Amino acid sequence: MSQPVTFLGRAEALIGTHEADAVDRGVRNFLELREKSVEELPALEGLRDRARAIRLHALRHLDRLLTHFADQMQAAGGQVHWAEDAADARQIAADILDRTESLRVVKSKSMVSEEIELNSHLETLGLDVIETDLGEFIAQLAGDTPSHIIAPVLHMTREDIGRLFADELGVPYTEDPFELNRIARAHLREVFLRADAGISGVNMAVAESGSIVLVTNEGNGRLITTAPRVHIALMGMERIVSRWEDAAVVLETLARSATGQRLSVYTNVITGPRREQDPDGPEEVHVIVVDNGRSRILAGETAEILACIRCGACLNACPVFRTAGGHAYGSVYSGPFGSIVTPGLHGMDPWWDLPFASTLCGACEEVCPVRIQIPKMLLQLRQQAASEGRLPGWLQAGIARYARMTVDPSRWARAKKWASRLSGLISTGGWIRRMPGPARGWTSSRDLPRPAKESFNDWWRANRGS
Amino acid sequence: MDRDSFLTRVGRASITSQLPDPVSLSVDLPELPPADLLVLFRSRSQTVNAVVHGPVTRHGVPRAVSGIATGHDASSFMAWDDLPAPGVPSALQAVGMDRVDHVVPSERRTDHNLGYRDVGVGITGAEAALAESGSVVLVHGEGRPRMASLVPDVHIALVELDRLDRTLAHWAQKNPTLVTETTNLVLITGPSRTGDIEQRLNLGVHGPRHVHIVMIK
Repeated sequence: MSQPVTFLGRAEALIGTHEADAVDRGVRNFLELREKSVEELPALEGLRDRARAIRLHALRHLDRLLTHFADQMQAAGGQVHWAEDAADARQIAADILDRTESLRVVKSKSMVSEEIELNSHLETLGLDVIETDLGEFIAQLAGDTPSHIIAPVLHMTREDIGRLFADELGVPYTEDPFELNRIARAHLREVFLRADAGISGVNMAVAESGSIVLVTNEGNGRLITTAPRVHIALMGMERIVSRWEDAAVVLETLARSATGQRLSVYTNVITGPRREQDPDGPEEVHVIVVDNGRSRILAGETAEILACIRCGACLNACPVFRTAGGHAYGSVYSGPFGSIVTPGLHGMDPWWDLPFASTLCGACEEVCPVRIQIPKMLLQLRQQAASEGRLPGWLQAGIARYARMTVDPSRWARAKKWASRLSGLISTGGWIRRMPGPARGWTSSRDLPRPAKESFNDWWRANRGS
Repeated sequence: MDRDSFLTRVGRASITSQLPDPVSLSVDLPELPPADLLVLFRSRSQTVNAVVHGPVTRHGVPRAVSGIATGHDASSFMAWDDLPAPGVPSALQAVGMDRVDHVVPSERRTDHNLGYRDVGVGITGAEAALAESGSVVLVHGEGRPRMASLVPDVHIALVELDRLDRTLAHWAQKNPTLVTETTNLVLITGPSRTGDIEQRLNLGVHGPRHVHIVMIK
């Protein structure tokens, strides 16, 4: 399937489809859950301030925290690997699997693994890689990509899933969510217990203790780090806090913002492989710390976005995300935070238009559990796109002319007069239903009120002025 | 990439980094008296679909546990060797349940794992319980398998009353080094759940479908 290369192209293909409707319904549910949970704990505001301070502190001292984390993890018997880019990370993972003779691989949800396109790489090496998060499992079975970081198949209806299971798993068709859940559980249970290696993401690393924290609601994140011999964790290099107490604060904030839970069902803290006296757990634990563009973000104006804890609240709050859905962004990271992360990680080309996929209404910053100034950074990136000459010529020229007009009162007065006169030609009943030229897009879904016949300044001079 | 060049690059990036200053910190929720903690824990556990029993005396624990297990028609169980009350495994064996061996061998690991497919009940002892979220904290290690709270259909956690704390943040502050001392620690807040299919709540997707918490006086 070839995808349009712009946000607008992708969004226009999606809007009005049942995929977009499913996203809107699903998101509304998330928003209600979050609001309920926020109402109940007045201290949440304080929790957010602390989470923000903790995350910003970690970014400021990132090299020191990573050093300490690696030393402690190694002291606990784990191994830490460093990946400069996606190819590096894929190679390291493949080497570990090869050396440990792992053929059957189970995965829990990891955004980094999608970012580095790990699955397809491992599959070309002949490995059997199975996603175990229910939503990710469904997406993998459908040959589709996840559309929401918390709810990967938000865009699918139960009928879609019922047909998929009937086709791919050879079970009788059902659209009962409970029955579909039971089918997936039985199918995946065998897969977990037979697996040689588990690959997970990392929600947060703790520098002081050398621990990694994995949060899941289903329990798959615990199964894949307990049953197989080998555990490989992929970690974005910014996902770290100083101390266990700091992790506790961030974890409480994460659960509330993501799904309105007070804590996620399973918060799994792993400090190295199974020790001699432990009855179970993996024999080897590997952590792959991934840069892949993050140090470039850290060095620049949008460094604050690295404080993100991946709760998904800004997606749910965003009117653009709710209308177009995650797939419109064309990137693993969608929604408001994704519009900053994606051009940051992969460059402005071809992602420069994502920062424009926002109304700048500010809802994202309002719900962000670490109060990231998302609109401010979207504006910075827009400015950067303009100064790099990436906007279409007519837009760039139009904005430049508009800017010249607004700084000169007499020009501005003349322009208003012309706007009033010209709009008279294309308006009916005080409304413009269709703008000419490139402005047509603006009126394709709404009407524009006609500028007043007389400006306020003229009226003032005529009636009250001395 | 080698460790040193990776970390040097990160260090260099943080020099030019444009990060805002954090705002001032606010205070925690206040501590609660024990009686209030139990009330809160009960109600919050209920919200996450976990069932709180008791408080029972230490001697009453085996009977309470076997009552729960037989109520679920379980025929096999896993239990920690190290539980806060004695006599639980023998009470379950007395009602005809089989105990599943929980020490995973290094050789032929997947064969052993497949024996976990249909375990009915798992019994664990909690290090702490968190009232605000309705969570139990399990610290794994010798005689305390992770699988016991993970593969069975029913998980029964035993908690001593004086181990109740208000939030994760409170408890973590009082126990800052525990995560260094153990390979694995897990916080469990109700039964395994998913909302991935049309945001419909589904319990027991991979982990236990039922969580029972037995409070001990």
